[in-house]
Amino acid sequence: MSAPFAVTECVDCGYVAYPPRILCPVCASSRWKRRLTENGIVTELTVRRPVAKRRQLPSGNWLDQEETRLAAIQSDAGVRVIARIAPGVEIGDRVRLRQEASTAIALPGQVVSADLADGSADEAAPTIHAPLSDYPGRTP
Amino acid sequence: MAEPLTRARIIGAAETPYERHPSTERRTETFIAEAVVAALHDAGISRDEVDGFGVASFSLAPDHAIDLTWKLGMTIRWVMEDTNGGASGINMLQHAIRAIEAGDAETIVLAAGDRMERREFHLMTDRYNRVSRDYMAPLPLNGPNALFAFLTERYGRAHGLAREDFACVPIAQRTWATRNPGAVYRAPMTLDDYMASLPIAPPLTRYDCVPIVSGGDAIVVTTEERAAKLGRPSVGVRAIRSIFNDENQDGNGIETGFARIRDPLWEAAGVGPEDMDAAFIYDDYPVMVLVQLGDLGMIPAMDVKRYVHKTLLEDLYPVNTSGGQLSAGQAGAAGGLHGLVESVQQLRGEAGERQVQGAELVLTTGYGMVLYTHGSSHNAAILERVA
Repeated sequence: MSAPFAVTECVDCGYVAYPPRILCPVCASSRWKRRLTENGIVTELTVRRPVAKRRQLPSGNWLDQEETRLAAIQSDAGVRVIARIAPGVEIGDRVRLRQEASTAIALPGQVVSADLADGSADEAAPTIHAPLSDYPGRTP
Repeated sequence: MAEPLTRARIIGAAETPYERHPSTERRTETFIAEAVVAALHDAGISRDEVDGFGVASFSLAPDHAIDLTWKLGMTIRWVMEDTNGGASGINMLQHAIRAIEAGDAETIVLAAGDRMERREFHLMTDRYNRVSRDYMAPLPLNGPNALFAFLTERYGRAHGLAREDFACVPIAQRTWATRNPGAVYRAPMTLDDYMASLPIAPPLTRYDCVPIVSGGDAIVVTTEERAAKLGRPSVGVRAIRSIFNDENQDGNGIETGFARIRDPLWEAAGVGPEDMDAAFIYDDYPVMVLVQLGDLGMIPAMDVKRYVHKTLLEDLYPVNTSGGQLSAGQAGAAGGLHGLVESVQQLRGEAGERQVQGAELVLTTGYGMVLYTHGSSHNAAILERVA
C-alpha cells in the first residue's frame, strides 16, 4: 500500500519544503499547499546494516531488523528526500517517489519509499495545506 | 601578538574516564558530577567559588540544570542548559564569556555528559527531533550513519577521494590515541585494518563511526583577574563565531556554515589558519573533519588528497590529539566539550605523551544537530595560551 508522495509549497513564493516548515524561509509566509512529487534522481545510496535483530520503536512496537536500503534523492520538486529504496536501484537512477503507510507493524508517522519509475500520472490534485492558518500571516 | 579579545579565561578542564558499559548505578548525573568535581579540582578552586553553571546532555531528563545545581550544592546567579549537541560546548562557552565580561557571574562551570549505551543511543536518535521521530526513525534510519554515508559519498566525488583517502583521518587520529590512556581505541590501526573493518552503512565502516561511550566533560571559566592569581597558564579565547540553520537544509551538507564564519572568525582573532599549532575538529565522522578544515581555510588550495596523506598522516599535523571521538569515544553531548577539554590540556602543556610542543594557538570547532539531511549548527573558537 502506498500513496502519492507530496511535499509542501509556499503559496506566495513557490518555495518547496520537505519536511514541512511553519514559516517560509524565503518570504515568511505561513500559507502552504500540498504539491505532488512523482520522480527524482538517486544521488547517493547505502545499505544500512541492522543494529540488532529486533528493536523497539518510540511507538512501543517491535521491529524485526534487516538491512535497509536508503538513498538521498533529488526530487523533481527541487528538494532532497531521504527515502527507503527498492532492491536494484542504483546511484543515478530515476525513481518514482511514493508514500507508504504503516502496514505489518504500526509505524508512527510517514515512511517514504521510492520504487523504480514507471511513468504513471498524478493521482490527485494538490490541496491546500495550512498548518497554522491562524498565524498572523506573512511579514513584510 | 595582540592580547586575547575576550576578557574571560578557561582555568580548568577535565574528562571522566569514558566507559563502554557502565554499571547501572552510574547515571548521566553521575558522569556530569564527576566531570564538574574533577574540573574544579584541576582549576584549584572550591565549589563554593562557582557562581554560574551550564550543562548539556541528551539524557538528563526529567532533570535540568537547576536539579544538578541543587544536587551539587551550588548557589549560583547564572544558569543555562544547552541542547545543541556537538555545538553545545562552544555555544555555552560563548555565552559564559559574555556573562563574565558583563559581571553577571564571575566563575562558571560548563559541563556535559551522558550515560549512553545502545538502547539509550537509539532512543536518542529516534527522538532526536520531530522529523527524526516521524520521518526518519520509521524508515528505519537507525541513527545518523546513513546520512553521513551520503555526505561521505558526495564529498568523495567532489574532491576525488576514495576510501583509502578518507582512511587517513581515523588512522592519524588513532596514532594520537595510542598516546592517550583515556581513549577507548588505543591499538594502532593500519590501512588494512581500516579497509577490512565491518561495513555499517557503506562507504562507512566501523572505524568511520564513533564508539558510543558514557562519560562527562567540564571546563571552568572565570575572569582574567582571577585567572592571573592562580599562578599557572590559563586559556584565553581570541574569538568565537557561530552560525545556525544558515541554509534551511537546502545545501549539500559538504559546503557548510563554517565557510560563512571563516572570514569573520579569523578577522576577529587577528590570526590566520597558518598560525594554528593544532586543531580540534568535531569528528562525528571523518568526512566532517575534512569539511570543517576545508571550510575554515585550513587545507591549502583545497588539495584534500594531499592534505590527508601528507599533512595528517605523514607529518601528523596535530588534529584531534586525544584520538578524537573516533578513537576516544563519543559520550553523547560530552562530545561537544571533548575538543575544548583537549584544547585546554594542550595549551597548558599538560597533555602528557601526546603534548604538542609549543602549542600557543589552536582552532576548536563544534558541529551538530541534524535537522533532516545534515548538521545545522556550526561554531568555532580560536584559543590561546596565556602564561
